[in-house]
Amino acid sequence: MRKKRWVPWVLVGPALLIIVLTTIYPLLAALYFSFHKYKLRRPPQFAIQISENGIHIDWSLLSLDNYALAFSDSRFINSLQVTFWFTVISVALSVIIGLFIAVVVQKGGRLHTLTKVLLIFPFAVSPALKGYSWRFMLNENYGIYDLLIDQLIVGPINALLSLINNLPFVEIALISESIVWLGDKFWALFMLAMSETWGWAPLIALMFVGALGSIDEQIFEAARIDGANRLQIFFRVTLPLLRPVILIVTMLKTIFSLKMFDQVVTMTGGGPVRATQTINYYIHQIGFVRSLDIGYASAMSYILVVVLTICAALYVSLVLNRD
Amino acid sequence: MTANTIGQNQSSLRLTTLKVLETLALLLIIAFIVLPILWLAITAIKPQEKAYSTTLIFSPTLENFEIIFSDTSVIINEGTDRERGEVGRNMFPSVVNSVVVSGATILIAIPLATLAAYAFSRYSFLGNSVLLVWILTTQFIPAIVVAIPFFTLFRSITLFGKPLLGTQMGLIIVNMSIVLPYAIWMIKGFVDALPGEIEEAAFVDGCNDFQILFFISLPLIRPGVLVASVFAFIMSWNEFLFALIIGREMRTMQVALMTTSGARGIMWEQMAAAGLVVMIPIFFLALFIRKNVVDGLTMGAVK
Repeated sequence: MRKKRWVPWVLVGPALLIIVLTTIYPLLAALYFSFHKYKLRRPPQFAIQISENGIHIDWSLLSLDNYALAFSDSRFINSLQVTFWFTVISVALSVIIGLFIAVVVQKGGRLHTLTKVLLIFPFAVSPALKGYSWRFMLNENYGIYDLLIDQLIVGPINALLSLINNLPFVEIALISESIVWLGDKFWALFMLAMSETWGWAPLIALMFVGALGSIDEQIFEAARIDGANRLQIFFRVTLPLLRPVILIVTMLKTIFSLKMFDQVVTMTGGGPVRATQTINYYIHQIGFVRSLDIGYASAMSYILVVVLTICAALYVSLVLNRD
Repeated sequence: MTANTIGQNQSSLRLTTLKVLETLALLLIIAFIVLPILWLAITAIKPQEKAYSTTLIFSPTLENFEIIFSDTSVIINEGTDRERGEVGRNMFPSVVNSVVVSGATILIAIPLATLAAYAFSRYSFLGNSVLLVWILTTQFIPAIVVAIPFFTLFRSITLFGKPLLGTQMGLIIVNMSIVLPYAIWMIKGFVDALPGEIEEAAFVDGCNDFQILFFISLPLIRPGVLVASVFAFIMSWNEFLFALIIGREMRTMQVALMTTSGARGIMWEQMAAAGLVVMIPIFFLALFIRKNVVDGLTMGAVK
């Protein structure tokens, strides 16, 4: 309808300029840094030097050393593994629990509606605060979660186990009630993923509630008339229909999990013994806390960029192919 | 009893069992969601000597809020000296920092995003959809990769004789990288939902592009812009990584949470009080935009 060609560019221009400056500039700069020896303690020597004689490039200052260092650095390899497992656990738990919540709250009375409203609450809690509150609640001496886990889960299991132990020739070891959750390598990573799940599962549930609501009720009706029970309807009808949304949500959550940083700082500090040092946390340690090695930190963050680019490409193709 | 009524009794029994199971599941979900928040709230009003236990019997106090907003490092209260967190820092400046940074971030980002979103929705221009997808993908850039170059840049750029590092201005600039893309996509959704006929009519009546934008379309999408502003405010309020690396000594509330740790570890009752201060305003804002959060987070990919 409107013909002036320059109008959209005037409208888009300022926002686009700022996005380019705050995303493309750092991406290029970090790539450039990653080929240099660049520590904060010393003024860096950059390969591209601009003087009155023009631009001069000193190729000898550029190297792939930082990347080579990354793949021989056992702590970096460790951070890759930690990030991988954190992502797998937190994505799986968030999506499965999210789906469960969505199916339960989707239709029904007042309690359902109330729960649906409550689903937004974890979104209001910042990741940094989330980390602190979980750390507090998991404390082995006065944590409410520690108490509840011991009373409601470990206690009954142990009661059952000791009952079994009464049988002749059976001797099963009881579960310890004094696990220091954040002091144990496995449990610390698991609980970190749980805190992430607490924040995300309700949001993912909201996403699924929306998707479930858009499915034609007649489809369920038809399945019921054909004699399908609830479980069959869930696995044979609901899940296949939700498949595209589940894929998109899983990919999105994977990306957010790979970027996770805040709770590591406030909940575990990377410990115990680096068991929860994710890539982001390790990069932050190298770049800003310990060796202040900007070159190395940039190289490692670029490896993360490559991984995330692959995920982003997958995500975009999923989203675009859906329509 | 005939076989038929037995069957009915069985099915009604099954229905009741299902109902009970469903209610149990709902209560479990509610507990899962609410417990961490509730526990934080309870701890925030516990007197210090009760905070390090799971007891629910205590007399509520506002002492913890008093102490995080005081300048003295030790408060003498009924004969008990109370230790402050890290050298007794008053958190009030951090509240101001958070409000200023988040407020300025949306004041800059939202008008720009609104104009851009409008153009993306209403005009077809070269690269329109490619640019939109590119904007979508910028949210996948890890924040640390944005923080590193801006850290070194802001160390060397000075504003009014002070380096930009550790200033509100510096943090506002890097916040743009996360807030703008979301705001553009969110507002675009609202413009898309607006029927084009009204604008068409205004055009026929002789309005030019900008008159249509400012006098016809903008008033109509105001609710959407408000929702996007609230969303963007929450994002920058809860932002931690940039605040830690770029904001530094200019602590926002998220970073100020860390100052509750003192010589004896984290002072949990103070952390809980500070946590409530961080959380409560966002609670109401989140409730207000409840229906739009999913669209915002997924940039409309899940519908």
